[in-house]
Order: sequence, then structure tokens, then C-alpha cells
Amino acid sequence: MTKWLSAMSLLVIAGANADPVIIPAGEYKPAVLLDESVDSVVMPAFKLDPTPVIYADYLVFTQANKNWRRDNIAAVFHDGNYLSDWPSADTIPAKRADSAITQVSWFAARAYCSAQGGRLPTLDEWEYASNYYLQQQGLSDKAYAQLLFGRHSNPTAYAKQSIGHDAEQLMHMHDRVNEWVEDFQLLLTNGDDTDLLAGSCGDSARFLTDYGDASYATFFRYQTRSNYRAQSTTSTLGFRCAYDME
Amino acid sequence: MKNFVKNAVASALLVSIAGLPAIVDANVPLKHDSEYVIDGKIYGMPKARIYREDYNGPAVVGDYVTMVPYLAELDYEGNKEHEVRMDVFSQKVEVAPGVSYNAWTFGGSVPGPVLHVREGDRVVFKMKNRSTEEVVITKPFKGAAPYYSQVAQNQLQKHEPVIAPMPHSMDFHSGTVAANDKWATIAPGETIEFEWIANYAGTYMYHCGTSSVLMHTAMGQYGAVVVSPKEGYPTDEDVDQEFVIVQSELYLAEMDDSFIYDHTAALARDPSHVVFNGHVSALSENPLKSNAGDRVRIHFLNAGPSGTSSFHVIGAIFDRVWAEGDPRNTWYGMQTVLLGASSSATVEFIVPEEGVYKLVDHEFADAERGAAGALYAGPRKIK
Repeated sequence: MTKWLSAMSLLVIAGANADPVIIPAGEYKPAVLLDESVDSVVMPAFKLDPTPVIYADYLVFTQANKNWRRDNIAAVFHDGNYLSDWPSADTIPAKRADSAITQVSWFAARAYCSAQGGRLPTLDEWEYASNYYLQQQGLSDKAYAQLLFGRHSNPTAYAKQSIGHDAEQLMHMHDRVNEWVEDFQLLLTNGDDTDLLAGSCGDSARFLTDYGDASYATFFRYQTRSNYRAQSTTSTLGFRCAYDME
Repeated sequence: MKNFVKNAVASALLVSIAGLPAIVDANVPLKHDSEYVIDGKIYGMPKARIYREDYNGPAVVGDYVTMVPYLAELDYEGNKEHEVRMDVFSQKVEVAPGVSYNAWTFGGSVPGPVLHVREGDRVVFKMKNRSTEEVVITKPFKGAAPYYSQVAQNQLQKHEPVIAPMPHSMDFHSGTVAANDKWATIAPGETIEFEWIANYAGTYMYHCGTSSVLMHTAMGQYGAVVVSPKEGYPTDEDVDQEFVIVQSELYLAEMDDSFIYDHTAALARDPSHVVFNGHVSALSENPLKSNAGDRVRIHFLNAGPSGTSSFHVIGAIFDRVWAEGDPRNTWYGMQTVLLGASSSATVEFIVPEEGVYKLVDHEFADAERGAAGALYAGPRKIK
């Protein structure tokens, strides 16, 4: 009980995630061509959490939704390591209240977003938002590529860093965690959408619109994300939620 | 193993019934109904299995699995079924003095362990993706491969466990299988298990085949399998020392206080380091040792990922060279062996006299970035 209370008091300090931000409608050219006949995608406006979901908010979710507590989750919804870094089902790791929640499966991420009245972003939405973010931040292709490859060289250190909860614009798209999207298994996978050749080594050039650093960094994200299972949980994989415009 | 051995004659009969050529070797052991034999080589391995397991045992298992430059002796007659495990996980490794990076590894070192088998052997391979764990390889572990104690005795790479969750796969060039099945990518926490037959003699690369394969290999995921010929090399009785050297490029850039993978440099084929056995000093701190008059055999693999190697021993001439390590591909009297990425050669030379013999990639831009080592030869010993 004491632990529970202390966790709740932490929440008061941490507060809830900031309000979603509007990603305006527009057109974007994916760096990775999932369909070779589609080189640009028209996106309607939607709303997206400005930052990845944090531990403090995820704890509230598990308190309110007992089926998603670590000690209660159905085995089919995770790989055995769901929230495995929590000291107990009611206690988040020390000093991580405002870090991106990790060790969550795709199923759990979806359930969380649904409970907030939202959903996971689609792959196109997330990547479109990423482009929007890069422009907003004025990040060069080189800086973006270095950020991504740098994070993948030491992903745990990046994942542990805190996240501000008063963001008024998109933040931390590339410097905290990999993020679940609704349709993450689009290519290089074993389902009906499998492109067999894409699964073998070195066969990436035909998916890329150019061979610059930024495109490779983006492709690497697509590929990595696509090779997780819906049950996968890792210490560097989190999510943020999307919402339809009213 | 005998329980699994089926009579190849029965297989031949089945093949005959199917109306296909019935050329089989009666001594080749078949194990699964799916298998068949062509020219004495076994094909048709069963499907790979991907599953989750609780496993906290040694990350590298196998009696004939060693650390470079060592090669385990094959102390058995004929063929054997090997149970081999090489888990995949991250590890901080030093590749030059003061230069360490968080490598993606098979078994924790760069390059990964050396597997030694005989032509015709069967390998039952398991690999768990433990990239979400901190895996320690510098302490002895009951049931571990000889590799473990060799790593513990050689701390040049200064191994430290690192967590870097990432999907990975294993592609053995020594295996003849459907890559989309056996070399499938597994998510963190998953285990893949599959079999392959060492159908061809030679020294073969293994590596991670997950895209970007350039990045996965450059991050450290490669190593060598030595498949010794069934009938041996013609010089087997004369060889005094046998070593394995794996050459590779590293593409590292300094960021803050550490080094990270530099994809721009990798695409431009502009390595920061080119190394023998994973460290610019691997074969200088621990030089190969022999004596004057010895016949030294080196299984040399150029792992790339993108560069060539022109392997040369300063002061020696290669008496024999077997391209790719296949005893049918014999060259004589070579000064330098040119190897493309993932290509190998088994070379032999006579150590002419007591002294120091530098081993280099004679493409000196590579040698001067680290691709150099040494063999120290003592005085001649009468045999």
C-alpha cells in the first residue's frame, strides 16, 4: 500500500502526458517505397502525442486496467518480459517516472492508446510526422542519420533519458526509443505481405528512393521495426498514441 | 547419433521410385525424411524452428568451437553430429588502443568463434537473440565451448556486456539451405534452431544477414567455419601449426566520448580500422608462434564487409594455397593471395629461419590502418 501511495504521489509530480499536437495535412515522399508505384502519399491531418508515453502514465493505465498489469496480462499478449524491469506489478523502476515506457508489446501499446481514446499511429502517420519533425527542428540529413546510428550504438542509454511533459510540439521522435506503429510488419516479414527477397542480405537498394545517409537510417528503422513480433518487448521499444481529428 | 542414421540405400530406393537419379553414397548418414543425396552431399534439411526458451546457459557451446586464432583438433574418425550454440548479443569491445564500440556479436567477440568440423558433418545449430540481456563471456562457464576459456585468457578486446535490443539472423556460408528459412531474422528473446551439412570442404564466413547487412556485419557479426576435407589436405602429416585469421574492416567515428558506426564511411568503403582477428594489435600482442623449418597452415578469411585483402607473409612464400580451402583448388608458390569480401584461402608456408615474420594485407592502405600482425619463429627443432 505504501508503495502504491508513493507511486501515486510520483504521478502527481509527473503529471499526465502533454496534449496531443496536430500534424497538419500534407503530402510526403517516403524514403522507403513499400509500393513501387506509390512515391508520394497524401496525408490527412491527425493528432499525435508530442512525446513517447512515459512510465508514470503507463502505471496509471495498469492501475485502471487490471488485465494489463504484469501479473495479470494474458500470455499471448507478450513474450514473457512484459514490464520485466518493474520491481513489482505496482512499482515502476526508480527514477524512470518520466522516461519512455519500454518492455511493452504491440498488444499492450494498442490497449493503452485505446484507453486514451486514441490508437497507435499507422506507419505512414509516424513517418510523415517524422518528416514534419525533422523540418520543424531544422535537422540536416547528416545530423538525423548520425542521431539514429548513434542511438543504435548505445540504445539503452538513450532510452533511459527523461522526457519533458509540457511539450507543445513534437519531441523525441529519434532520440529516445523505437516506437510501435499499428502496421509495423509491412515488409521483410513472414506474413502474407512477405517480400522474400527483401529478407535476404544486401537487398535494400530497390526500396530506397536515394542512397543518402538519411534514407539508410530511415530504412534501418523500417527494417528493425518490421522484425519484431507483436509480442516482442525490449528495453528500447516504446510508443506514442495517435488520434483522429474530431 | 546412430539412432538417427538411416540407410542411404533406402533413400536411394525412394529416389529411384520418384524417378530421379539414384546416385548416393552409402556411407552418408541421413536423418530426416526430407533429406536426399546428390553426389554424396546431403540436401533437404527440415524447416528451421523459431521459439522462445528460458536459457541462461553459456552463450557459446560446442566441443570444436574456439576463439581466433585457435582451431580445435578433430579428435574423431569419420563424421559427427555437432550441437553448436552461438547466441547473439551486444558487447563493448576494444579494436584499437583507446577505441572501443558497442559491437553486435555472435558469442561476444569480434570476430565471433571459430567452428571446426569435417566435410560431411552435420551441425545442429541454436542461436538465441539475447540482445536484451547483459551476457558475460569473460568468466568460465560449465558446459561452455573452449572458446570461453580462451576469451578469459585473452582480454585484449576488454569485453563488457551491453544491452542493445535488435533483430538478428545467422547466415552460414558453409551451409547449403534455403536462406529465407534457415537464415531467418529473429526478434530479441527468440531462439532459432536449424541444421546444415558441411557438404563442401573449406573455410567459410558466417555473418548476420539482417538488413542493413552492411551495418550488421560492420558492427561485428561475422566469423569463420573451417570445414576440413574428408580425405584431408595432402600435407596434413607435415603441418606443425594451424591457425585461423579473419580480416575485417571497421567503420567507426568518434561521437562524444565513444565510437559509433559510421554508415557514410561504410558506404564509401573508407574504414577507420582494418584488423586481423578483431584488433589492430591482435597478432602483435599475441603473435603466432612457430620454429624455423615448420610448415605453418593458416586458414585466412576476408570477412569484409566490403574490402579486398591481399594477404602476404613478409619473408615467406606460400608453398601451397587452396582457394576457399577446398583441396581441389591448389595453387603453388604464391607471394600474395587476393581475396574478395567473404572469400578465403588455406595457405601454407615453410618458416625459413628464426626470426619475425610480419603478416600483412599488402594493400598498404589497409595494413597501415591495422591489417598487420606477426609470426615469431624460434630456432629449428629436429623432429
